[in-house]
Amino acid sequence: MASSLIADPTSSSHNLYSFSPSDQTASDIRQHSFYPYTDNGGSTLGITGNDFAILAGDTRSTSGYSINSRYAPKVYRIGGEDETGEGAHIVLSLVGYAADGTALQERLNTVVKMYKYQHGKRMTVKACAQRLATILYSKRFFPYYVQAILAGLDEDGRGALYSYDPVGSYEREQCRAAGAAASLIMPFLDNQVNFKNQYMPGSGEGHDLHAKQAEPLPRQEVERLVKDAFTSATERHIEVGDGLQMLIVTAKGVEETFYPLKRD
Amino acid sequence: MNHLPQAWGRPRDDIYGHYDPSHLQTAGPNAHTQQPIVTGTSVLAVKFKDGIVIAADNLASYGSLARFTHVHRLRPFNDRALVGFGGDISDMQYLDRLLNSLDVNENYGSPGHVLNAQNLHTYLSKVMYKRRSDMNPLWNSMLVVGLDGDDKPFLSSVDLLGTTFSSPTLATGFGGHLAQPLLRKLADDESQVKDVTREKAVAAVQECMKVLFYRDARSLDSYSIAVITKEGGVELKEDEQLEGQSWAFADTIRGYGTQVN
Amino acid sequence: MASPFSINGGACVAMVGKDCVAIACDLRLGLQSMTVSNNFPKIFSYGNVYLGLTGLATDVSTVSDLFRYKVNMYRLREERSISPQTMANLVSTSLYEKRFGPYFVSPVVAGINHTTGKPFICGFDSIGCIDFAKDFIVSGTASDQLFGTCEGLWEPDLEPEDLFETVSQALLNAVDRDALSGWGAHVYIIEKDKVTKRLLKGRQD
Repeated sequence: MASSLIADPTSSSHNLYSFSPSDQTASDIRQHSFYPYTDNGGSTLGITGNDFAILAGDTRSTSGYSINSRYAPKVYRIGGEDETGEGAHIVLSLVGYAADGTALQERLNTVVKMYKYQHGKRMTVKACAQRLATILYSKRFFPYYVQAILAGLDEDGRGALYSYDPVGSYEREQCRAAGAAASLIMPFLDNQVNFKNQYMPGSGEGHDLHAKQAEPLPRQEVERLVKDAFTSATERHIEVGDGLQMLIVTAKGVEETFYPLKRD
Repeated sequence: MNHLPQAWGRPRDDIYGHYDPSHLQTAGPNAHTQQPIVTGTSVLAVKFKDGIVIAADNLASYGSLARFTHVHRLRPFNDRALVGFGGDISDMQYLDRLLNSLDVNENYGSPGHVLNAQNLHTYLSKVMYKRRSDMNPLWNSMLVVGLDGDDKPFLSSVDLLGTTFSSPTLATGFGGHLAQPLLRKLADDESQVKDVTREKAVAAVQECMKVLFYRDARSLDSYSIAVITKEGGVELKEDEQLEGQSWAFADTIRGYGTQVN
Repeated sequence: MASPFSINGGACVAMVGKDCVAIACDLRLGLQSMTVSNNFPKIFSYGNVYLGLTGLATDVSTVSDLFRYKVNMYRLREERSISPQTMANLVSTSLYEKRFGPYFVSPVVAGINHTTGKPFICGFDSIGCIDFAKDFIVSGTASDQLFGTCEGLWEPDLEPEDLFETVSQALLNAVDRDALSGWGAHVYIIEKDKVTKRLLKGRQD
């Protein structure tokens, strides 16, 4: 046995060594098995009115079928003076991968603060919206895995709301739902906010009926719709529930309300 | 010795079989952690009226092998913050060294100022998020416990993806499925924390460690437990033994070894 | 390859009201993203019981014909028309017979039981598991959207006219957010001694 451990150059073996030289090429490269994203569930919703904008989100955080936390906010104040967000005039909701959400929120918050320090005036929602798109697109090939909604008041003091896809394409809208239950909430909003498929009674016969025109809703009505949308989504989507957090932007600043949702 | 350095000190293929050379690569992608190797299982923690209880067992597993049985997975940072580690043990030791150097730097740089649990959690979550963004994760899930800036109990978690969340009770890994539902009976809501006494919290955590030992195959009956309060600082016990186990049920179950067949 | 349930597209919803039920479906038939017909109803009547079928169109036709045959045979043997509850069990057992090679359909049954006078609706998965619901049943590629609109618009004890408005709005707004459903709708309002069928014109895009 011991002799077999010693290479015998005179042996019939055509190879001097026990291995073939081609072994050293290390051809089989091992692939990454690490997936850098996860989905933390939840849903968000934004609606604007004449002189206000509301951003709402449930406070549940999930991974798979487990609930991580019953109170993990996904609506943020942007441009506040301290960590409490006091003095903020823009609100942002981020749903999807929560770690990217927090990182993005911190980044935009810093940008809006720096803008104020450098220019001596508040960043407009329009400018902030464009900046957010740029930030999202800057990670086009390793995206922030989030659906963002940005809201505030525009230069004329009217409610402004911008919605985004994960790589930064965006548009201004009256209302938008995002996240896990977006497909449940959005058609309800079409119907109740933009009056889609609704017609004025007696405005014509058959196909001549006039469509009911959308107009900005009063704040009480919007808050009621938001609660309705979230109680409905909670009922039918397992990743939505626990609590409903609303940030309401008016000329006076940002108000916050909390409303408990079912925890099952 | 010969002129082929590749052959030096190398196991012979004809005796030991073909050697997988993929470990020898110098070119190609950098080797990053693809999977945890030696792992720790669940960490549990509960907030109570004026502090936190946290526990983790002392086992480091190598796959299904119970490899190291005296590994302490609760690492105190200072007298007001502690980290409980689940997941890869080598990454835990790296993070422990990192936190030690942070503590040293902090004490040299700004004496008198101490980092609290909240600061520590922020720091750790940034480290973890940076590493996941580099596609080179530290394979852990951690619970950071202690006191926040207002000396209020603090409990929050971080994982390999940089995901963070906080709750009155938290459990990583298997504990998330087995212990968390039991712990939530104590405090399901932040408002209920004020009604939880230290004794109740400790008892609940000990009970959960027992449940986990019964049902988590990668667990051990020796564990570490720590209580952190403003008054007492970090009270860490690292060699606790599970008490009051009952295996009476096993008698009636086939497959536990009491019957022949 | 797309799921057989979403090749052709389509949506169906049933709702309970006060002494009445409603069942409605869209009219689209597609092949992936191409629409090939805007007149493909998915609700079939069997006496006073109504069956909505969404899913793979070929199975929708096959299954609807199969139940026409089975319900006719039932009527001839029993000399009475089938009740919605019996229909539900017939659908369930018939689908389970094909447990390991199922029809790719998600059926919905709606009707009023003429013995008790009570409204009845239920839904099924493709292998016959029955979902007895007291409020509404949705099915098809727009089921997520329908869950949202129904949960938001439905309320108990709606009168027939209000139920019609509710089910129509629920369906129309749901299918407008689904690329594979829409192109008009059929709505049936079923009362004890009256059935009203209405054809809705929806968005044509």
